[in-house]
Amino acid sequence: MSENNIVEVENLQTVFSTAAGDVPAVGGVSFTLGRNETLGIVGESGSGKTVLSRTIMGLQPRTNVTVTGSVKINGFEVVGASEKEKRSIWGTEVAMVFQDPMTSLNPTMKIGKQIDEALRVRLGMSKADAKKRAIELLELVGIPSPAERYNAYPNALSGGMRQRVVIAAALACSPKLLMADEPTTGLDVTIQAQILNLLDELKERLQMSVVLVTHDLGVVATRTSRIIVMYAGRIVETGTTEQVFNRHRMPYTKALLESSPRVADASHTRLKAIPGRPPNLLKLRDGCAFAPRCSFATDKCHSQRPELEESVETGHKFACWNPLPITGAAN
Amino acid sequence: MSNTLEETAVFEKPEKKEPMGPLFWICVGWIALNLLGAVFANVLPLTNPLFENYNVINAGPSIHHFFGTDDLGRDIFSRVIYGSRVSISVGIGAMLIGFGIGAPLGMLTAYRRGRLDTIVTTVMYVFLAFPAIIATIAILSFWTPRALFKIIVVIGLASVPLVYRVMRTATMNVATKDYVIAAKVQGATDRRILFKELLPNVAPIAVSFLLIGIASVITLEGALAFLGLSVNPPTPSWGNMINESRTVMAQNPWLVIFPSLALCMFLLCLNFIGDRLRQHFDVTEVKL
Repeated sequence: MSENNIVEVENLQTVFSTAAGDVPAVGGVSFTLGRNETLGIVGESGSGKTVLSRTIMGLQPRTNVTVTGSVKINGFEVVGASEKEKRSIWGTEVAMVFQDPMTSLNPTMKIGKQIDEALRVRLGMSKADAKKRAIELLELVGIPSPAERYNAYPNALSGGMRQRVVIAAALACSPKLLMADEPTTGLDVTIQAQILNLLDELKERLQMSVVLVTHDLGVVATRTSRIIVMYAGRIVETGTTEQVFNRHRMPYTKALLESSPRVADASHTRLKAIPGRPPNLLKLRDGCAFAPRCSFATDKCHSQRPELEESVETGHKFACWNPLPITGAAN
Repeated sequence: MSNTLEETAVFEKPEKKEPMGPLFWICVGWIALNLLGAVFANVLPLTNPLFENYNVINAGPSIHHFFGTDDLGRDIFSRVIYGSRVSISVGIGAMLIGFGIGAPLGMLTAYRRGRLDTIVTTVMYVFLAFPAIIATIAILSFWTPRALFKIIVVIGLASVPLVYRVMRTATMNVATKDYVIAAKVQGATDRRILFKELLPNVAPIAVSFLLIGIASVITLEGALAFLGLSVNPPTPSWGNMINESRTVMAQNPWLVIFPSLALCMFLLCLNFIGDRLRQHFDVTEVKL
């Protein structure tokens, strides 16, 4: 099984120690990701998506955090590895695209240099070869006249162009896995589509696996093969994109889908918002974390936490005591 | 697959850097003139600053003595130029010591964090809580005989916690930026991150703090000289010239005016240069 998986996450927990108490930002997450597959991780702000993706990368802060469980990237155990060991997979096995292209490029370095740094350090290329490759990469991500742009500083580029440069830098050492943490949140809608299409295209061309972290269901709808829905640091539903969108069983998934606008809706249709707020992770109770906001909640939901269980179809799992009927809400 | 964009307006034309302006260059010129004067004071055709000419006591500015003479008939012009030697070398020397120790320490602890950071920062803050000027005065009064290098070392060490705090805060601010994390996950080593990612981005802050620091150290030397704790008279420094002549200020105001003017101009120019440089090198401002 492990041969076909690029990522295997097993009961991963990330707990931050704060003055107010322990915050379980990721509370026991397990999943696997196959080669050349795109996985979407969705959830509200504060549901633990970003912490999960950074923990998978091995990027947790140096202090006040405890990570348990296991993350294997192409067989490499990330949890417990030192920075020096992780440096052997960073860039070549796994790379990351950040949320805000305005802050993910060094303002004092030419964009070309920021790409060929990695090539020279990690792959030991000569200066001239690295430059050539960096220009190729800039061309690959669709930067016009890449040879001239090589010498540009980030402040001469627009947001969408910067995100392309960030992607080029991430792809420099041909990683097998690309973690994209809200890659389009900082961009306007037309540029969003361009960047997502670019990621898709590159994934096919370079035979990568992609993890797409987002709060925007529209982003994952057409581009992922599987989806993980997170709530309060746990997976509440997972399955193929089709299963999650059309045959979801967890009321939270339903609420999340209903709260995004649809083109088919008449104008001035009120959006359904999920009542209440995400729970305070410091004060998680025994029951289902979504219970206080859920219209289906019973006493059992408040006292006992449901575990992920298989739905009728294989691969489709959800954590709920009172799941929606199997027919689900058809879209 | 042609995903090159048809859009042409996506790139801003790299705008021309705004010129520094004449005032900046006047200031640089003034500082350069002062530095040259300090370095070549004994080569220049100046009267010996210690030579007491009793024929011209308390004279006003004239063609023979541009700034006049003091109550012992010493040439003020020559003394102001020789005096810049003490002031400038204390300013630059002390800041070199302060930055030499404080800057690498601050950057390192801010980047590595952890226990080392806690320990070093606590120690530095304890020193910061203790008034530096009192400590300097105390040490200098007991560390006799007085010498220029001792003043430089004491003020330099006293400035370490200040430099440390500024550099640590600036570095921490940069170290949490995504581009530092991005460099890290591309496999950059700690040394590369410190020198290529952090250093260039804290440099503008460091440079302007350095220049303002030199200015404050020169003022501090003036204060020490005023208390008689700087170099021993008759060696001139801007501070002790002001100190010595304050008693005869009513009879001969030139004695106070010229060294004060020299001090004041030097500091103003330094501050202005520091400010202007910070603006000029601040590429971090997003202009979209």
